[in-house]
Amino acid sequence: MERIPELCEAVEIIPFDLSSPVLLFPVRHHSPVCSYHLLKAIELYSPEIILIEGPQDANELIPVLTDDRTELPCAIYYYYKDKKQLVSEEAADHSCYYPFLYSSPEYNAMKAASELGIEARFIDLPYSEILINTEGEQGLRKNEKQSYADDGRLVRSDYFKRLCEKTRVRNFEEFWEKYFEISGLELSTEDLYKQLMTYCTLIRHSTPRQELIADGTAAREQFMAANIKAAMKEHSRVLVVTGGFHSPGLFELLKGKVPETKLHRIPKDCTGCFPAAYSYRSADALHGYSSGMSYPGFYDNIFKRLKRADTPKGIYSDETLTLLVKAAKKSAEKDLAVSVADITAARTLMSGLAALRGIPEPGMSELMDGVTSAFIKGEKTISSSMPLEYLKQLAIGDGVGKIGDLTHTPPLVADFEKQCHALRLKPETAAPQEAVCGLFTTAKGLPLSRFFHRMRFLGTSFCERTKGPDLHGSTDRSRVREEWSYRRSPAVDAVLIDRTTDGFTIEEACTNIVKRLLKNGPGLDTAAHIAVECFLMGISIEEEAEQLTRIAAADGSFFSVGSALGYFKTLLELKQLYEYPDETILPLLTRCFDKLVLMLPAMANVPDEKADELCSIIRRLFALTDSLLPDRRPQLTQSLTELCSQTEKHPAVFGAAMGLLCAVDLSNQFAAERAMRGFLRGTAEIKKQGAEYLKGLFSTARDIVFSGDDFLLMTDELLRSMTSGDFIEILPSLKLAFSYFTPQEIDETAEAIAALYDADAGAILDDAAIDEQLYSFGRQLDIEITQKLGGEHH
Amino acid sequence: MEQFIKPPVEVRYKDELELLARNDHGRRPENWKLSPNAVRLFILGGEFSTAEGKVRIRKKFYGNDALVERAIITLAGSRGLMLVGEPGTAKTMLSELLSAACCGVSTNTVQGTAGTTEDMIKYSWNYALLLSKGPCRQALVPAPLLIGMEKGIFARFEEITRTPAEIQDSLISVMSDQILNIPELGDEGLVLARPGFNIIGTANTRDKGVNEMSGALKRRFNFETVEPIADVRLEKEIIVREAEDMAAAGHIDCPVDTDVAELLAVTYHELREGVTSEGTVVEKPAAVMSTAEAVSVYYQALCHAWYYGSGRIEPAVLTQSLLGAVCKENRDDLEKLRGYFRTASKEQSKAGELWKEYLSCAKLLK
Repeated sequence: MERIPELCEAVEIIPFDLSSPVLLFPVRHHSPVCSYHLLKAIELYSPEIILIEGPQDANELIPVLTDDRTELPCAIYYYYKDKKQLVSEEAADHSCYYPFLYSSPEYNAMKAASELGIEARFIDLPYSEILINTEGEQGLRKNEKQSYADDGRLVRSDYFKRLCEKTRVRNFEEFWEKYFEISGLELSTEDLYKQLMTYCTLIRHSTPRQELIADGTAAREQFMAANIKAAMKEHSRVLVVTGGFHSPGLFELLKGKVPETKLHRIPKDCTGCFPAAYSYRSADALHGYSSGMSYPGFYDNIFKRLKRADTPKGIYSDETLTLLVKAAKKSAEKDLAVSVADITAARTLMSGLAALRGIPEPGMSELMDGVTSAFIKGEKTISSSMPLEYLKQLAIGDGVGKIGDLTHTPPLVADFEKQCHALRLKPETAAPQEAVCGLFTTAKGLPLSRFFHRMRFLGTSFCERTKGPDLHGSTDRSRVREEWSYRRSPAVDAVLIDRTTDGFTIEEACTNIVKRLLKNGPGLDTAAHIAVECFLMGISIEEEAEQLTRIAAADGSFFSVGSALGYFKTLLELKQLYEYPDETILPLLTRCFDKLVLMLPAMANVPDEKADELCSIIRRLFALTDSLLPDRRPQLTQSLTELCSQTEKHPAVFGAAMGLLCAVDLSNQFAAERAMRGFLRGTAEIKKQGAEYLKGLFSTARDIVFSGDDFLLMTDELLRSMTSGDFIEILPSLKLAFSYFTPQEIDETAEAIAALYDADAGAILDDAAIDEQLYSFGRQLDIEITQKLGGEHH
Repeated sequence: MEQFIKPPVEVRYKDELELLARNDHGRRPENWKLSPNAVRLFILGGEFSTAEGKVRIRKKFYGNDALVERAIITLAGSRGLMLVGEPGTAKTMLSELLSAACCGVSTNTVQGTAGTTEDMIKYSWNYALLLSKGPCRQALVPAPLLIGMEKGIFARFEEITRTPAEIQDSLISVMSDQILNIPELGDEGLVLARPGFNIIGTANTRDKGVNEMSGALKRRFNFETVEPIADVRLEKEIIVREAEDMAAAGHIDCPVDTDVAELLAVTYHELREGVTSEGTVVEKPAAVMSTAEAVSVYYQALCHAWYYGSGRIEPAVLTQSLLGAVCKENRDDLEKLRGYFRTASKEQSKAGELWKEYLSCAKLLK
């Protein structure tokens, strides 16, 4: 490796001393070469105990991870609920994963210890303490999805940037692969140790002390050093496996007296950890936050080969070729032309590049380059780069791990399993299963439906409703059965584990999520959606009554409150059927009602696209005064009257309001007629608005048509006075206006209209069609006559 | 040395190439003048040790080092190299640099046009000799492909997609069998390619679809897409460097103003990406907004300053040169350019004196 001399000379590099009572072995998380040489170092050093960087809360989980039945990738999941506000005033919940792959040095250290019959122990601060000792937005407290295994330090330093320029590599992954992963396999353990230690020491050297304190590193290292010292009292050869960045720090601390770390008293139910199945995909997702290596599947395969083979020679060549062929195969499956010639060309390019770059064998970077050059035909675009995409997917790997020892099942998963058993569901199948819930017919119908709704609400992708009443969209409300399809995939467990901070049972988790969602202060319509969810999940909103009231008070949008009103109405109507005990909805409904009535007059002049929605809210308000809120009829009437007296108003809204006023008091019909006449006498533009007015009017008071001939006559007049162009323009509104009538009513209307023209309703329908030839003859005649007269034919 | 407007790369960088060849101990593909490592050093720059001490080679191609590495290795193999990308992304320059470094010649070139015929690529005849002696080697006039095959050097094929498809396809048999058959010469008409022969093609993506390459031909090339430079600082550096070179060649003794270069680099970058550094979306002009264009705009303004002005580049002149470069084919581009000036004048990052002066020239955009 090229050196930056002034730095190298300034710092002390820890020697690889097998006679020392403690050997600090630096690693990078998930790095095969580190695992490879760590195992050799264990053989050479024969330690009496192996200490591993990791929160010490998880010590009892080590046997679970090394259990023969356990399949990797697995992770330890840590959570901490900051109820005592030790981390911050927000009292937030925190959680993180500590993933292990076959290539992880930490895993190999544990496994080796178990094989040698010696103890392996985690030595880092408990998870809660790490958080307490970390400043906001630093280390494990960043808002990103967090992994305990953070290599960020190895990448972020200025030293590394200079190194990149000097060594002509594009990024850290390429640098690491070139100088450590591939070249490192040819080195002796001692040489790799020295090389890695040099790199880490130099990085460490260029990191300011202040940063180490801010992100909790200083406190953690002090605690780890104290643990190492304690182990050294009991054992004469202690092997310490930590991230490379910590080794120089620990080395310094071990030279002197290590101050004791005082731990906080954390209530038992506030923190904990358990083993969880993990996936390569999630492991790769974390690499974006510099935690562990990218392409975990590829490096896991490399390590598996390393363990099997006698010599590391040729392993990278073989594995990259395997992956290249797989990528070609997958591309060919997707109808992308990739031939054997292309594979050969890519392969030649890869080995050529490796030689040019001075690497013994091609690695992931060369593989990517090979595919880029040889598989992508033409310009590199999103669609032509698909082979590269397939390669990445293959290199990431799609495996999911499995925990062998089931005594440490995470609480939510345990609750899920318990409920599945109680409800007699069989989720462990390859194909999705079907379940039918007779909501009101069978005793287990409702509990089953609620369980499914809860699982869906948690975002687990466990189940999907194929049929059933949709209370959100208010369609199919008459259905009394729900049909679900469900299947337990590894993703379901992953989500359940992630939700642990929300609660230990599914019900508790749902309740807490609802609480949090409402606390964020959404609009009232969103809050009403959440209320509908609660209703479906059978989770009471009594405790949230106050918050909901606050949201209702704060929401100034007429339409948001209007749509919330609809949901609350639905819930009130259905609550007995769904056996949902509740005292909160009616007051909320009343509040929405009052608010809307107050705002209504100001809404008279809504834009066209909102007019229909406004009309339906007005109808909804009126319907409520018929059923649930009869005592509020006067206020609504008052409000509608005010609306009608506004000078600027949308004709459809005006019509709807007039219609309702007619329903309250028949004497208002006169005013409605007068308004219609007003439209009729106006200019062509105003006449067109007449159709909108009719639409609104008929939507609320269609019986007005049958109470006399006046409206029919006026409609007739309206239509007759229009040009055919204008008529076509208003046709949609008119059509909609008449859609509010029942077929019977339309028949009656048609008859009434026929009577106006002295025609028989039957005669219109039964008239024989005109002969086509006759029609065209007549038309031609017409044209010719017009021409003869010198006029234009229209 | 005799003066030329643009000497070929191998002449321009003669000293560097000789120095590299003398100190090159790496393995070379047959007939190459330099080893792949030295070629990389020549194009991407860097330091190397000679008997006389350390020598620094200037970087000549910016943007994507891995692409250059892949290109070199491709050329050492059996497939041709096809450089594709937007106009003005230095594809031709890269192809010249590669040819000059690997073969010592960058002029064995076919310029693809709609009128390119097969004899411009392969061979034609000296008709006087043909009539007097009949078809024989003396009467044959070799074209770049034949020259490349016989000498074991690269043949460069510029703008390959501008040539008709049937002409493009005449490359297929040469590339797969490495044989060119000249039937007129009878038994002697079989020319086998010597080691070191390869083809570097360039094609710009704006011409895509004019004469799309056939699948069979595509299979015989490794493709590299040359992207526009994504880093404004780098673009500025290129403008400054190229302008300096051009000024020196034109005997213009005017210092290059880096602030103006930055201004231009930012303008070009933001118009190309369609978004400003502060995140405001601006409309992209239809015209090509390449770094090469920016260089020529800058040089034009520099010439103006040298011959007519005080030696200082006036923002007004720069704006007018920009106008000429952007609004070529499409009238809408003028409105887009105006829109950009309006947007830019509202941005904090462009509040400096020079920016103000530049943006106040918006009235000249008509």
